[in-house]
Amino acid sequence: MKIIGLSSALCLSAMIAQAQETNEVEQLKQQLRQMQDNFEKIENEQHRQIESLTKKLDELTNQRQVMAASAPPATVTTNQFNELSEKVEGISDAQKKTLMSEFNPSIGLVGETVFGYRSKGSDETGGDRPGGFDVWQRSIELNVAASVDPFAKGYAVINGSADSATGEATLGVEEAALQTTSLPGNLELKVGRFFGEFGRLAYIHDHELPFVNRPLALDEYIGGESQSDGAQLNWLVPIPHYVSVTTGVGDHFGADSPNPDNPGTYRPADGLSFWGRLSSYWDLTPDWQLEAGISGLWNPREEDRGGVLVQPDSSTLTEKERRLAGVDFKFSYVPLRDNQFRSFAWGTEILCSDNRYLVDPDGNLNPANPAPGLDGDEFTGSVGSLGLYSYVNYKWSRQWSAGFLFDWLQNAQNHSDETSAYSPFITFALSHWNQLRLEYTHTNHNAMSGLKSDDAIYLQWAWIIGAHSHGWQQR
Amino acid sequence: MKLKLIHLLTLAAIGAITLTAQPLHAAKIRVVATLTDLADLTRQVGGDHVDVFSLATGIEDTHGVPMKPSFVPRMNRADLVVLAGFDCEHAFLPALLEASKNPRIQIGKPGYVDCSQGIVPMEVPKSTDHSEGDVHPYGNPHYMLDPVLAKTAAQNIYNALVATAPEYEADFTRNRDAYLARLDAKIAEWQQLAAPLKGVKFVSYHEHWCYFAARFGMDYVGTIELKPGIDPTPRHVEDLINEIKADHIPIVVREPQFPEKVPALIAQQSGATLVKLPIMPGGVPGTDTYIAEMDYIVHSLVDAVKK
Repeated sequence: MKIIGLSSALCLSAMIAQAQETNEVEQLKQQLRQMQDNFEKIENEQHRQIESLTKKLDELTNQRQVMAASAPPATVTTNQFNELSEKVEGISDAQKKTLMSEFNPSIGLVGETVFGYRSKGSDETGGDRPGGFDVWQRSIELNVAASVDPFAKGYAVINGSADSATGEATLGVEEAALQTTSLPGNLELKVGRFFGEFGRLAYIHDHELPFVNRPLALDEYIGGESQSDGAQLNWLVPIPHYVSVTTGVGDHFGADSPNPDNPGTYRPADGLSFWGRLSSYWDLTPDWQLEAGISGLWNPREEDRGGVLVQPDSSTLTEKERRLAGVDFKFSYVPLRDNQFRSFAWGTEILCSDNRYLVDPDGNLNPANPAPGLDGDEFTGSVGSLGLYSYVNYKWSRQWSAGFLFDWLQNAQNHSDETSAYSPFITFALSHWNQLRLEYTHTNHNAMSGLKSDDAIYLQWAWIIGAHSHGWQQR
Repeated sequence: MKLKLIHLLTLAAIGAITLTAQPLHAAKIRVVATLTDLADLTRQVGGDHVDVFSLATGIEDTHGVPMKPSFVPRMNRADLVVLAGFDCEHAFLPALLEASKNPRIQIGKPGYVDCSQGIVPMEVPKSTDHSEGDVHPYGNPHYMLDPVLAKTAAQNIYNALVATAPEYEADFTRNRDAYLARLDAKIAEWQQLAAPLKGVKFVSYHEHWCYFAARFGMDYVGTIELKPGIDPTPRHVEDLINEIKADHIPIVVREPQFPEKVPALIAQQSGATLVKLPIMPGGVPGTDTYIAEMDYIVHSLVDAVKK
């Protein structure tokens, strides 16, 4: 009985399980059918979209082809192209032209006019300019410069000015030199006529000075600008600190046309001259700088001048040898941020002259004598003298600056004869190439000079056209 | 005695030549850059292989870097001089190059790296005449204020470095690519950030901003200077104030190396906002690199526009 019961239970269980399996299969089949339906729907949708996009693409392509086929835009493009081609060809042809001026040097012209008023005439001041109102075309300076070849550059400064005595125009070659650019060993050679490197301002042209007139000491001891015909060698010492050494030799040293506005005796060193300079520089702070140098000039054959200087007591001095030493410095404030609007400079140069003379107490060597010549009483003597100038210049805007120059010197033949001068000045620069400067100068001569003290006012107008480089020496 | 003197002179000459003899380049390539942006690009591309000295510290006028003699020994020993070109450095570089007595870096030599190569200049004057002020004959040289053009400068520096030291080419290439990728990312960021600057009018003291304005779509109306290098006249200032008022120009830019007085007066009387912007890295605090400088410029202008 128990066995029958168990068997019945097992059969019932098996029937229930079979029925459940049949249901799962049905469910899976149904899911599969639904997925197939969905896939077909998506496929149809994608086909529709593809067809639609293809149709749109075809339409757009057709439209573009129609637009491309339409004449006006294509014609305009061609015209523009032709026009542009013509222009380019024109420019290209212009470039092919041979120009006679292609290798011309850079050219600049500097003009400088000085309006002046002096309280005393030239007979009383020792200057060449007359007393009273005076207008003087001090210089018209033509600057030309270009590379000579890969190894050198050449430059010339031709100066035209009014002759101080006659007022007639005179033309002179102030500088015409060749300067090497590729010597080994940090060397640079300059040959020709040039302003030799001595001191601070002797080799600066008049219009580049920070005041109107060249300092008296430079006129007295080297005749103004340091012009020479010769050769000069510069060496940049190959160390991390800036040290520059210059040495030169020339047939004279000093300007050929001294500044007649000054009361110095304008004594260029004639004959063979040797000179040298050592200069260095220190950044005290990023804005404050100090530059200093020492210079020397030796003129061993001064008798080439052929001059016999007749003294007030009728004795004569014949200059035999000249030695000149100088020390200079420039202390300057050049703020990094706005140095075009603010700056300050204090420059000073002290010169020490030692002149050797043949002294003739009885004046027998005076050329005015009927038979000048040595008579045995001559002896050799020397005269030492000092001179200096010191100036300050303060700039407070791009256009305005003002300063003060002090001059003091002893006569190179008689150190008891002293001259001093002071000159306040103010500068107005309309632009970098056009500036006006007003300066007042009071000059004191001592009684033994035979000259009289005087007052003068100068108005300097300087301008530049054409090429104008900021040279290293004018920094 | 004479023989001894000759010996001494010979020894001195040999010593001088030995002292002055320079190797092509020592362990590092010695580079003198005229401006701080070019110095930064050179450091980025050159990496550890370059020793870079910048003549400018960043606060100077690009046309008015002082000609210090202390620059000369550095230039004397330099393998490369990197410059902006388009006559940007005309006031100080030619004289320094001459004083350097270094034939390797003279114009036309491989060591003379003019970064303007490949850049199409803007504002090329129709005539080079000083009646137009201190014009640049080859066009406006302030292209470094456009970061896209700075990429050309970086490429010029890369070319020069590779030519000088080909053994480091792989390093230079890696450095350049990394820097240009950074710069590209920043350019995209600046362009997005500078969207409000589009069409905004502005004036500045000097003609520094034409490339920047073109890149970011600004409208550069004029300058406070009468002409390049020429201070404004009272009439010019008055005209400018009237123009700013009439055209509703919202921004007056002052570059830090110019006096504040006139730009401040113009801004005050016209109602415009005065914005001080550097023209090279280091021009204002916090702008030590080129990217930092450009960041500062874009942010400052956007802030000013939003005011």
